[in-house]
Amino acid sequence: MRSLRIGLLLGLRQIQRASIWTTALIIFVMMLTFLNLVVVSGVLVGLITGAERAVRNESLGDIILSEPTGEKTIIETNSIVSSFASYPEIDSYSIRYKSNAVLEANYKERRNLNTERDIATVNVTGIDPALEDNMSHISDDVVRGEYLDPNEEGYILIGYYYLEESADKFGDVFDTLGIKNPGETVRLTVGDISKEFVVKGIIESKVDDVSLNTYIPEREFRRLFGRIDQNADQRVIRVKSGYSEDDLKKAFVTNGLNAYAKIQTFEEGKPKFITDIKATMNLLGTFIGSIGLVVASITIFIIIFINALSRRRHIGILKGIGIERQAIEIAYVIQAAFYALAGSALGALLIYGFLIGYFERNPIAFPFSDGVLVAPANETLLRFIVLFITTLVAGFIPAWMIVRQNTLNAILGRK
Amino acid sequence: MNIIEATNIHRTFGKGAVVTHVLKGIDISVKAGEYVAIMGKSGAGKSTLMYQLSALDEPTEGDIFIDGENVVELSERERTEFRLNTLGYIFQDYALVPDLSARENVMMPLLMRGMNWAKAEQAADRAIDSVGLIGKYHNLPAELSGGEQQRVAIARAVASEPKILFADEPTANLDSISGKQVIDLIGEIHKRGQTIVMVTHEEEYTADADRIIYMEDGKIVNEKKN
Ligand SMILES: Nc1ncnc2c1ncn2[C@@H]1O[C@H](COP(=O)(O)OP(=O)(O)O)[C@@H](O)[C@H]1O
Ligand SMILES: [Mg+2]
Repeated sequence: MRSLRIGLLLGLRQIQRASIWTTALIIFVMMLTFLNLVVVSGVLVGLITGAERAVRNESLGDIILSEPTGEKTIIETNSIVSSFASYPEIDSYSIRYKSNAVLEANYKERRNLNTERDIATVNVTGIDPALEDNMSHISDDVVRGEYLDPNEEGYILIGYYYLEESADKFGDVFDTLGIKNPGETVRLTVGDISKEFVVKGIIESKVDDVSLNTYIPEREFRRLFGRIDQNADQRVIRVKSGYSEDDLKKAFVTNGLNAYAKIQTFEEGKPKFITDIKATMNLLGTFIGSIGLVVASITIFIIIFINALSRRRHIGILKGIGIERQAIEIAYVIQAAFYALAGSALGALLIYGFLIGYFERNPIAFPFSDGVLVAPANETLLRFIVLFITTLVAGFIPAWMIVRQNTLNAILGRK
Repeated sequence: MNIIEATNIHRTFGKGAVVTHVLKGIDISVKAGEYVAIMGKSGAGKSTLMYQLSALDEPTEGDIFIDGENVVELSERERTEFRLNTLGYIFQDYALVPDLSARENVMMPLLMRGMNWAKAEQAADRAIDSVGLIGKYHNLPAELSGGEQQRVAIARAVASEPKILFADEPTANLDSISGKQVIDLIGEIHKRGQTIVMVTHEEEYTADADRIIYMEDGKIVNEKKN
């Protein structure tokens, strides 16, 4: 206790009397270390979070209903839909019918029957254009042409990845078609039924589920695929802000909806690889940040070492007049603590006061994601604690090394 | 009653062929309340002797009883505590902590002894007043002259009322006027009953001492009562 008081006094006064530029520089280094520790993994994780958010906004929504085990589709789709009216939590929803079909383009121009046909197997989604757009706003993703009109028939939206021109961007990993502009005619074939569609628009998003898809109105889908029972494959729901999807899911289950469909929240239903990559990125970021941590501890070590060495005589005199070693060591640990605290505080201020907001407004454009900065408070706190303790140790060791030297030698400046 | 009782003190430095024998069997005793001056040429071993007597160093041979305690047998930690509670020091070059104000420098040993903050402040201010630096409590060492710094160092040494005050050439770095002031101050402190052991190599500064011990080449060669 006595040592602590004296250590505090000595430490605080040393900080006070130190050159402001030296102090600013050390705090700056500590701030960079803190940023390195938090922001590197924050951006790496944020990159995936950006992708995850896009999937949630443009495709899966907050709650996903899909076929229950043992069934091919959601059962009693219509009665489920009519029950939605009694849930005030539901902001919007979309009913989707999903299947595969063969899409063919440029068949009218094909004179020579020996040349290869321009065909591809594609995902087809049947939607109610108005409901879907309400929920996922995919009309924003239409990059050429227009979104489907609820009152029209015979039109199709084609995902950009199915266009030949995207092949050089992604490699030829899926079949592409020589479609260039809206207005061209294509043919969709299921078994021995074929139907012509006019390309209404090209749709592109950072969500693969959208870019690697084709959309037609649900009525035409059901006719084409012979789905007379009106049972859908996927139902996605957007929950009103202020309500929790977990509560809504519970309400669904209480009301027995889980007999007709598998009900998952976004967290449960999102692709598992997202969670895995996030964890990997976090680990990677922490690893990169740790290198900074080593650099910071060496910096603090050298600073405290030089500081204590230059005061070796005074340290000797303090011990000479009876001040305990502990008290003097505490003085240096307090300085290290101060640098770590000030640096981290500045870093945290920068992250929470500026960087997170900045990246929300100006996401980093990656091909598959609009990356944001993710820094959950608990993880930041953990990293701060690690930085803090490392700094204390890095400050204590050199102080201990110098304070333990022979008192009289220190006073007399002898080796 | 002798407050210092040292017998057969030897101090050698180095090993093997390069051993320097600095103190060559010294017997010395100091009575409580006595003011002893140690005189001798540079290199005679005065400082080395003082470090032994004040528990800053360990003799190679011999026993040193201070206030009834054989300090030779204390551990490093115990010796630090012993110095804190029993001894006061005035070094050649003031030896104040540059980051602390005059008051805080004087407070150091008081706080270490467990005195509460407010009391330590009062005691420090009183000690600073008593060395003639009334009002200079908040000055940093760099804002004081050499003589003033040495007087703060004296205030620090006496504030905790040590049983013995040690001073090793306290005037060495001072001009003659400040030097004289410091010597007079030490004389005054002695008159209040303080036991003092002071090393000096200037005869004129021994006027207030009760006894003068002359050293030469690591031995006591003469002794004179004032
Ligand atoms: N640590 C040491 N190692 C070797 N020689 C030393 C050491 N300390 C002191 N001496 C020698 O002991 C002698 C006495 O030194 P000192 O006690 O400082 O003399 P004084 O204080 O009387 O001038 C000197 O010759 C000095 O060189
Ligand atoms: Mg000397």
